[in-house]
Amino acid sequence: MSLIATLSSATQALEAQEEALSVTNNNISNVNTPDYAREIVNLVEADPTDDNGVSLGNGVDVESVTSVQNQLLNLRIQQQTSDESSATAQVNALTEIQTLFPSSGTSLSSALTSVFTSLTALSANPTSATDRDAVITDAQTLVQQFNSISAGLTNSVPTLNTTVSTDVTSLNSLTAQAAAINQEITQQSSGSQTSATLTSQLTAVETSIAGLTNIAVTHNSDGTDNITTGNGTPLVLGNQSFALSTSTNSSGDTQVLDASGNNITADISGGDLGGTITVRDTDIPSLLSSLDTFANEFATAFNSAQATGYNTSGTAGTALFNISSTVAGSAASISLATTDPDAIAASSESATDNNGNVANFTALQTTDLSSTGASATDQAANLTYQVGELTSNATANQTAITTSLTSLTDEQSSVSGVSIDEESANLIRYQQAYEAAAKVVTTIESLFDTTIAMISGT
Amino acid sequence: MRFVANISNDIIANIENSDASVETALQEVSSGQKVNVPSDDPAAAAELIQLQAESSNNDQYTANTETVLSQAQDADSVLTQVVSLLNKAITLGTEGASLSYDSVDRVSIATQITGILTSVVSLANTTYDGASLFSGGSSGAAFTADSTSSTGYSYIGGDSINSVQVGTSLSVQSNIPGDTLFTQSGSSVLGALSDLSTALTTDGGSDSAAIGSATAEVSTALNYVSSQHQVYGNTITQLQSQETYLSSDTVTITSEADSLVGIDTATAAENLTQAETANNAVLSASAKVLQNTLLTYLPN
Repeated sequence: MSLIATLSSATQALEAQEEALSVTNNNISNVNTPDYAREIVNLVEADPTDDNGVSLGNGVDVESVTSVQNQLLNLRIQQQTSDESSATAQVNALTEIQTLFPSSGTSLSSALTSVFTSLTALSANPTSATDRDAVITDAQTLVQQFNSISAGLTNSVPTLNTTVSTDVTSLNSLTAQAAAINQEITQQSSGSQTSATLTSQLTAVETSIAGLTNIAVTHNSDGTDNITTGNGTPLVLGNQSFALSTSTNSSGDTQVLDASGNNITADISGGDLGGTITVRDTDIPSLLSSLDTFANEFATAFNSAQATGYNTSGTAGTALFNISSTVAGSAASISLATTDPDAIAASSESATDNNGNVANFTALQTTDLSSTGASATDQAANLTYQVGELTSNATANQTAITTSLTSLTDEQSSVSGVSIDEESANLIRYQQAYEAAAKVVTTIESLFDTTIAMISGT
Repeated sequence: MRFVANISNDIIANIENSDASVETALQEVSSGQKVNVPSDDPAAAAELIQLQAESSNNDQYTANTETVLSQAQDADSVLTQVVSLLNKAITLGTEGASLSYDSVDRVSIATQITGILTSVVSLANTTYDGASLFSGGSSGAAFTADSTSSTGYSYIGGDSINSVQVGTSLSVQSNIPGDTLFTQSGSSVLGALSDLSTALTTDGGSDSAAIGSATAEVSTALNYVSSQHQVYGNTITQLQSQETYLSSDTVTITSEADSLVGIDTATAAENLTQAETANNAVLSASAKVLQNTLLTYLPN
């Protein structure tokens, strides 16, 4: 083997160590980049040359630079990221909503209890103006509680609608990015192997998309990925992305439409988008419906009790609450029909002011109001249970997913994560190799000098 | 598994979890409750609402019991006085029927009987907290002078009997209308007294048989009032035992609510100490692990 050949193989070694150093540098630079997968240089021995029957090594070749990833792990992480974002969106919204049902201070249940205690007080003293005033005041507080909780629930919806819109915008920008990366991958891979960086970037974009909604990813043989939503709406096919859009339905809720304009809101699951839609379209309506049913049944039953008694003027009692005949919206629209304390029909006889009818009011506290088979106090307690259960389930879910996601991320970090210690060691390793190769170059240079000196005879 | 290359994410998550535990423990110590929002324990939060309602009801039932008890005690003492007046009337009637008295004496006895009648009417108009005790729900007096009535008085009250709720399923009768007590047909107190007074003065009180039968009429009225008196006695006994029950039930409810959502100070303090210790451990371990890299040992 000639000195020239050795020199060229030493130069190749220098280049290989340079490339390795550059990969190490890239790893160190991206140590804190989310979803970055460490890259490694695959060095192989160059094909040997035959030198008079002796096979001589020909230095080193850089075969490839690859991104170290476990595709299955990535898919599981994307799945769990979807679930975690969904749970987080629900926890955030519900934690805010449950403050409408405090366990101390003025609450729906305390206002309800006050109405009944005032009525019980009135029973001992049916003609007392003070006791009658107290009933009206407490009924007013109860009405305000119904109104404000209903408003509190309804007012969360516009915020959630905004979240749906911004999520769809983010989703579209991410799917466009994924399509662009696919495009680059196609261009590159037509000649050589898929770029490690591009694969890594694509995975990162997919995880971000998974944070917004549940997705299914299929890997193509050319290194590109196709992305669809969990139930099959295409988002990215090769280098083409399909943007989702939003519209507003008749009740003012933001709906999600696929690229062909079909409403896919109900099919969206997982991710921030799925979690937000669950709270908006399932949790809040169910709480509102319980609240409306409660308001409607209570007011109706109270008004019926009014009708069986007589007010202080000796005429049959009239409705104390204005309540709509339809259940939906009852909590929002309930109001006092009169604030006249004398209108309370405490008496069971028109001629005298007895307390005979008060028992019909206080009975509402413990007897079933109607079809739902629950008394007023039970309904108030059930509402608190309902909101508490929704919030605590979402929180428990979030905790469980976070734990499993942490262990998956640890596993991913173990496969793909950049270790500063490892990179520092590599740095020294490549530095030493580079120095040694450089030494080879200078050695050969001095050999050349010796040879040239021999020729010139100096 | 290779090893977790970038441990800082784990460390941050651990510190966050530990901080959250400290915060929860601190909140429990400061509020004395382990259920601060419904999601802490939905079932306990719902149960608490029931207990709070029961507790408020008990407070009101207790207030009602006290009111009705005072009214009943007042009425009870009124009837005690009526009974004593009627006994006196019977004694006077028996004296009036005796042959040793002359017409002048009988007029004097009749005057005393009329006095007793006036006293009974006045007692029947007793008020409690501004409202007449025996007016049967009517806001005015129970009896008023009425020259057209044989007794000289007529009942102007109502006929309502109020049952006041003093427990979840217990109501007690809080009043007896005046006409039931004092002018009940066949045992009318006012009628008997008025008849006795009339018998004593008619024809100079010569008809001692009439005086005797009028006195017997007063006796009948007395027996009747005594039996009604018993109604109040029973009400008072019932209310007193209800008051005792309510106060012990309130204690039970309070302790139930406390065991449901409350946390005892020792447990809360222990939780806080544990959370703090764990927090310190996480922080000091993190500080050590995070600093340690190969770079620390490399020459500059």
